[in-house]
Amino acid sequence: MRRTRLARLLGRLLPGTVRADLFEPALHDLYVDAARTGRGTALATLGLFLESWRLAPAEVFAMFVHDVRHALRLLVREPGFTIAAVLTLALGVGANAAVFAVVNAALLRPLPYPDAERILLLQHRDRRTGITKTFVAAGDFADLRARQRSFESLAGFGFGPSTIFTSDEPFNVGVLQATPDLFDVLHVGVPIGRALTPADAAEGAAPVVVLGDEVWREHFASDPSVVGRSIKMGPAMRQVVGVAAPGFRFPANTRTDVIVPMRMPAQAPAQRKNGWTFAVGRLAPGVSMAHALDDLTTISRQMEREHPDQNEGSEYFALTVRDWLVGDTKRALVLLLAAVSLVLLIACVNVANLLVARAVGRRQETAIRVALGAGRSRLVAQWLTESLVLAVVSGAAGVLIARWAIPLLVRLAPAASNLPDPDGIGVDRAVLAFTAGLTLLTTFVFGLAPALGIRMDRAAGALVNPGRVTAGHAARRAASALVVIETALAIVLLTGAGLVLRSFSHLLAVDPGFRAERVLTFDVQLPAERYRQEPARAAFYTRAFDALTHLEGVEAAGTAVVMPLTGNNWTVGFERADRPVPAGQRPPDVGWQAASGGYFTTLQIPLRAGRLFDATDRPGGPPVVIISEAIRDRFYPGEDPVGRKIRGGDGNATIVGVVGNIRRAALTDEPRADLYFPSEMSPQAQASFVVRTSGDPLQSVAAVRAALRAIEPQIVVREVTTLEAIARESMQITRLALSLLAVFAVAALALAAIGIYGVMAHSVRQRTREIGMRVALGATASDILWLVMRHGIAVAGLGAAVGLAAGVAAARSLSALLYATSPGDPLTLAAATAVLLAVALLACYIPARRATRVDPVQTLAAQ
Amino acid sequence: MSTKRIPRLTHLQFLVLGLLRGGEQPGRAIREAIAAHGVKRSAPAFYQLMARLERDRLVDGWYEQVTAGDQAVTERRYRLRPSGAKLWAETRDFYSTLARTGSAKLRKGWSDA
Repeated sequence: MRRTRLARLLGRLLPGTVRADLFEPALHDLYVDAARTGRGTALATLGLFLESWRLAPAEVFAMFVHDVRHALRLLVREPGFTIAAVLTLALGVGANAAVFAVVNAALLRPLPYPDAERILLLQHRDRRTGITKTFVAAGDFADLRARQRSFESLAGFGFGPSTIFTSDEPFNVGVLQATPDLFDVLHVGVPIGRALTPADAAEGAAPVVVLGDEVWREHFASDPSVVGRSIKMGPAMRQVVGVAAPGFRFPANTRTDVIVPMRMPAQAPAQRKNGWTFAVGRLAPGVSMAHALDDLTTISRQMEREHPDQNEGSEYFALTVRDWLVGDTKRALVLLLAAVSLVLLIACVNVANLLVARAVGRRQETAIRVALGAGRSRLVAQWLTESLVLAVVSGAAGVLIARWAIPLLVRLAPAASNLPDPDGIGVDRAVLAFTAGLTLLTTFVFGLAPALGIRMDRAAGALVNPGRVTAGHAARRAASALVVIETALAIVLLTGAGLVLRSFSHLLAVDPGFRAERVLTFDVQLPAERYRQEPARAAFYTRAFDALTHLEGVEAAGTAVVMPLTGNNWTVGFERADRPVPAGQRPPDVGWQAASGGYFTTLQIPLRAGRLFDATDRPGGPPVVIISEAIRDRFYPGEDPVGRKIRGGDGNATIVGVVGNIRRAALTDEPRADLYFPSEMSPQAQASFVVRTSGDPLQSVAAVRAALRAIEPQIVVREVTTLEAIARESMQITRLALSLLAVFAVAALALAAIGIYGVMAHSVRQRTREIGMRVALGATASDILWLVMRHGIAVAGLGAAVGLAAGVAAARSLSALLYATSPGDPLTLAAATAVLLAVALLACYIPARRATRVDPVQTLAAQ
Repeated sequence: MSTKRIPRLTHLQFLVLGLLRGGEQPGRAIREAIAAHGVKRSAPAFYQLMARLERDRLVDGWYEQVTAGDQAVTERRYRLRPSGAKLWAETRDFYSTLARTGSAKLRKGWSDA
């Protein structure tokens, strides 16, 4: 009796197992009954179909459990295959999970404020110089706050260090100075006591402080009665008014030990740029970021029109707090995640190759299953279940690898990457979910190729002639295609690593314009009450420089406000006194620095003309400045600037010297025009020291500290490091990218080599009879060598060609990490190709050599 | 298999394997036979039971063409595999042993109480 069209249609709607095991035999019984009784089958067929669907979930699950058991038995039975595949995949999954953990912490994990993505940080861009700053001028802040309609409110803030003096040892704290509305902007409350109020920031208000939870616990024994008590912080006594919520940090990557009120003018002062602040705002309900940006642009234009002499070219825009925190690291992290996924893809391709080879070996088993009635979907399901089991075992091993790799990766990440809570980065739920997703994905990536390669029509051949189970053309082509893919992926990674390596070598070769080696740097804070007067501060620095330069092993010492290579790009207007800019126009900006004469000698910034700052430059004396060569070239072409006057805030200053250009903000920065003001004329209670030593600078720390304490016992010395460490840190993101890309590229190369070797070795094994025949017919060893190598070279060559094209395209995304290197750098591309082809040739040569040793007599006799 | 361990065959599986001890049978006939023991199963549910026995390699199943009325039709037939016969025998031995020794122990336990 023929099956009805309805039965065929309904059968197709059932899962393969349910159709074959439940529906089909029941349908046959129905036909037997129908043949005997002559009854119609349509209604009963529908009933069988519905009943089969009812039973389907249990059946599919039972089949899945059966397949899992079968897959586990296979893994145990083939330990060589299992170890190779699990290790390959586990390394790939582990590396991905580790990089994802860092990406998650930096880019995905929510910041500790409600709706943090609606909190924006204002940025200033100078259209004339292209320099972007995170600061808002005090006058602009007042106008922006008054005119904006996009934010619930705008708060100003700043942060820095200070010292709290208690009955115990004084301790350093991270201070957040903020306008009281910052708490409203962040939508955070104060669980103990109260938050800051506008009255706290009013003129003449008593100094108050909100303690951070950590400081409250560590130094005030979690005592709630601390609220109302006065503590000495820096020079002033402050009354504690509250304790912040546990875990409160702003910005999220810095310690917020205490919060003090910041006073900002309600009306814009005449000198609008006299004072700067960070500014943060929360988008008003229903307002989009684009709308807020438009609003800021409109207000910027208004201020430019109203105050062209101070605001020409000034433009305000905003970033989300996260984008501000993560900065350039975001691109590097995303890039590394992409790179490490390529490694996993290559690992998957390799395992797919192993599975294809294994599938060929299992053709007889497949044939038996087909003969016993297994359908294609049933076989594909079984293969995919085997792949899933392999992926799950590898995923579990990958999580263990990630647990080990994450701390390593966090240590490698630059401090400037602003990872929030780096100690808290580990294998958490997000990482586990990512790994689980990745495991499922890999199952399909490497499991689908062999599963789709199942040829039902050829299965019978394996039964008829089990002794000659060889890979068909399709299987060989599939294996070759997989090798082309992994070779191409390896080239992409090699090119990326090569480009970053070239950039790094260029960065190392950059002349910053100063000598960073053997320079100790640290910050000092003088007790304010004893150094309220400028002469007292000037006297301290004179004695300090004298004491330090007389220390054994110290060659020079100086101070500066802006430490080089820390990204600082403060600017100041430059105006020749003899050529003032027309009224209503803003003078062009140049870099700003306040430094002592010793700063130049310590950093060995060459003096080109005139003199450095010295003891004759005293507070109250005639104002003097030093300019860099770039200012001379730009503003005094063909003239001698020494002795000329420039316009300053309080009168004209005389140029007393010209020094060499330096790369102040970063090594990747072009040397800029810099204007130096003498620290000697306005010594501050806080300064950054630079001390050149004859040996290891860190060996001198104790002596330097003792010398300064001998002058001022209450001096606070912090942030002790070396200029070389700062320079290294400034290159850390490139170094991180280089280290990881290099590791990924080597892994990719090794995997590709293993892949090529595997395919070639398998091919030689499969073609032993053919090779034996050729040798018997007179083929020489070199003929055989070429026969095998030709295939490998063709596959690797094709992969290299595809990879080069993809590599050049992918390298464009690297641009942010590249320095003085083009994404299409021919030398790098050529080197990557050469390395890959050399490795590919070696991988082909080993099986090719084996092929030349085939004994025709033995081979033919064996057939 | 030790006769001390609880057998893994269910009563229904034991019944089906027992029916097949007499020789191969069509699925339809087995279904009718178990119905006579009060076990009513829909055709798909019955074949689900048989598929699991096949998967556990206790029975073999195949299609065979037969004539019903005047038409050629196919039906699924089953035969007991040696492993199935062995498991059935072990299960039977378990219950026999239990019936012999277990009842004595039970009686002893009751009298102690």
